[in-house]
Amino acid sequence: MAHVVLNDLVKTYGAFKAVNNVSLTINDGEFVALVGPSGCGKTTTLNLVAGLTSVSSGEIVIGDRVVNDLDPKDRDIAMVFQNYALYPQKSVYKNLAFPLQMRKLPSDEIDKKVREAARVLDMTQLLERKPRELSGGQQQRVALGRALVRDPAVFLMDEPLSNLDAKLRVQMRSEIKRFHQDLKATIIYVTHDQLEAVTMADRMAVMSGGYLQQYDTPAQVFAHPVNMFVASFIGSPAMSLVPVEASTEEGAPVLIGAEGWRLQLSPHNAQKVAKAKTKKVVLGARHSTIKLHKSAVPGSIPARAYTVEPTGDITFVQAFLSGAIVNVSVPPTVAVAPDEQIWLEFDQDRMHLFDGETEMALQAS
Amino acid sequence: MTAMTDTVARRPSSRRRQIDGWRWSGRIFLVFMLLYTALPMVWMLITSIKSGFAAMQFPPQWWPDQPTLASYEKLLDPQNSVGQDFLHFFWNSLFVSTTTTILSVIVAVPAAYAFSRFTFPGRNFLFFAVLLRNMFPAVIFLVPLFILMRAIGLVNTHGSLVLTYLTFGLPLAIWLLKGFYDNIPVQLEQAARIDGATRFQAFVLIVMPLSTPGIIATAIYSFIGAWNEYIYAYTFLSKNEQLTLPVGIQRFFSENTTDFPGLMAASFMMSVPVVVLFLLLQRYFVRALTEGAVKH
Repeated sequence: MAHVVLNDLVKTYGAFKAVNNVSLTINDGEFVALVGPSGCGKTTTLNLVAGLTSVSSGEIVIGDRVVNDLDPKDRDIAMVFQNYALYPQKSVYKNLAFPLQMRKLPSDEIDKKVREAARVLDMTQLLERKPRELSGGQQQRVALGRALVRDPAVFLMDEPLSNLDAKLRVQMRSEIKRFHQDLKATIIYVTHDQLEAVTMADRMAVMSGGYLQQYDTPAQVFAHPVNMFVASFIGSPAMSLVPVEASTEEGAPVLIGAEGWRLQLSPHNAQKVAKAKTKKVVLGARHSTIKLHKSAVPGSIPARAYTVEPTGDITFVQAFLSGAIVNVSVPPTVAVAPDEQIWLEFDQDRMHLFDGETEMALQAS
Repeated sequence: MTAMTDTVARRPSSRRRQIDGWRWSGRIFLVFMLLYTALPMVWMLITSIKSGFAAMQFPPQWWPDQPTLASYEKLLDPQNSVGQDFLHFFWNSLFVSTTTTILSVIVAVPAAYAFSRFTFPGRNFLFFAVLLRNMFPAVIFLVPLFILMRAIGLVNTHGSLVLTYLTFGLPLAIWLLKGFYDNIPVQLEQAARIDGATRFQAFVLIVMPLSTPGIIATAIYSFIGAWNEYIYAYTFLSKNEQLTLPVGIQRFFSENTTDFPGLMAASFMMSVPVVVLFLLLQRYFVRALTEGAVKH
């Protein structure tokens, strides 16, 4: 196993910059997820690490070697593809043996390793089948087996679960996590599904528009998103973002909504707003940090329920506030009707405030 | 009410009758087409086992009174001049067609792969330029190509034919194979390269075996094209010992009196390699032509 360092990595296609000065350090044995919407540069970044795409500028280090100019085969990596990329004309056994044959291992050793991998992944009885005779989950497992049979320095995974149905995806998610724990493998995992990233990764790199937005543990990214993009991308349902205006009334800073309501701020939040360079502020709150009241309480804001979505153990209420939709979760015992007048109370300690112009999180100090 | 039940009850049967009508006219049409293509060949075969006299009779003998393999014996006998010439022509055709086929595959496979996988300046222009030759009737190029061949000293050589047939066969071969390579996910090669193969190994070990049906179809197409070609062979070659079968047969049997059984026997033997090749490999051929028609 080995660590991976990306130094100021850039990939351009003509005038288009697919990857913009991305710098990342992935520690030995760490599971890092590259996450972002399609076209954010995450797959390109992975292909750069794999050597399938050439680097425009910057540096890639695997272990202690700069691998920029090495062929994929010389980088000591293994990759699992979204469509698995199993060799269709080869049996499962030969698929697993291929990377070993290419490295000219003696055939008795190949046989031993292939059978060991098959045993670990519980597919000994499938060895003679062709890929097309396997289910999606089994193909997935063969792809994983072909990666681990060689014991590479780094595993690269490009959306390995997105072709599976929802149930199997959850199951394979825990299998891959288990696989990482058992092998202490260094894994770079690309996904557009923030839930996969949050549940599996030690650290996640959120990307957008070719830029690295934030690189931290899932808990940190969830609790302290650096900007509005990360805030809205991580977490489901997405964080509600309400545009408001910062002002001062009777010496105290307040937020004023489009409907004219006022929200008093805690000293900590007031400090953040005071440091802002603009009056345009965006208030962010996750559904679980907003309380719904049926009558006005001090510090609450009036709103009107728009839709109500019961999911069983939790009911989501959407309300319009200052031109934005706010998501609130309530216990299923609370009955809310569409168009009903409600009052929302924000948890000041878990509230997020963003600069309305730069979209960056406001800092208290 | 009665009228309604009536129509409801009658509809299925009337619809079935309609389908049957179409089905039967379709069958009749297909039988007609089958006869249209097969009967001349049957007649060729029957004539080839007649004597010269029986072949000229009218009304014709539908089945020869005295079937004979004399024409075949004559053609395949290296002792007499007819047999010598025929075997010579056969060998010439085989040589020209095989060489064309091998070269065509050698050129078309990497060319199609490059068109499919790489981006390079002028890619689209080149790709359509490849088709330019096929937009004109072959005869148009007869005289220019003859002048060209004379200039480079290839008239009266089999090389002139191989070169010409390549220019005819390659465009379709490249297009056909490119479709094949487009359908092979690029991730397979990427996986192979990560698994330890060079780009070339990934191509030879993973991509080539997957495109075998396409390569076989391409080969059959080139072979048949070269095997049957007449007008260029007729123009470029004048020495008797170099002639290919289509020209050879035609010249050979019209020199004195037309020996119809001999001509038919020669024609039959000429069609044998193509038919055998096609029967052996037809499943690849069909697969190649329908590849990509439906998503797997």
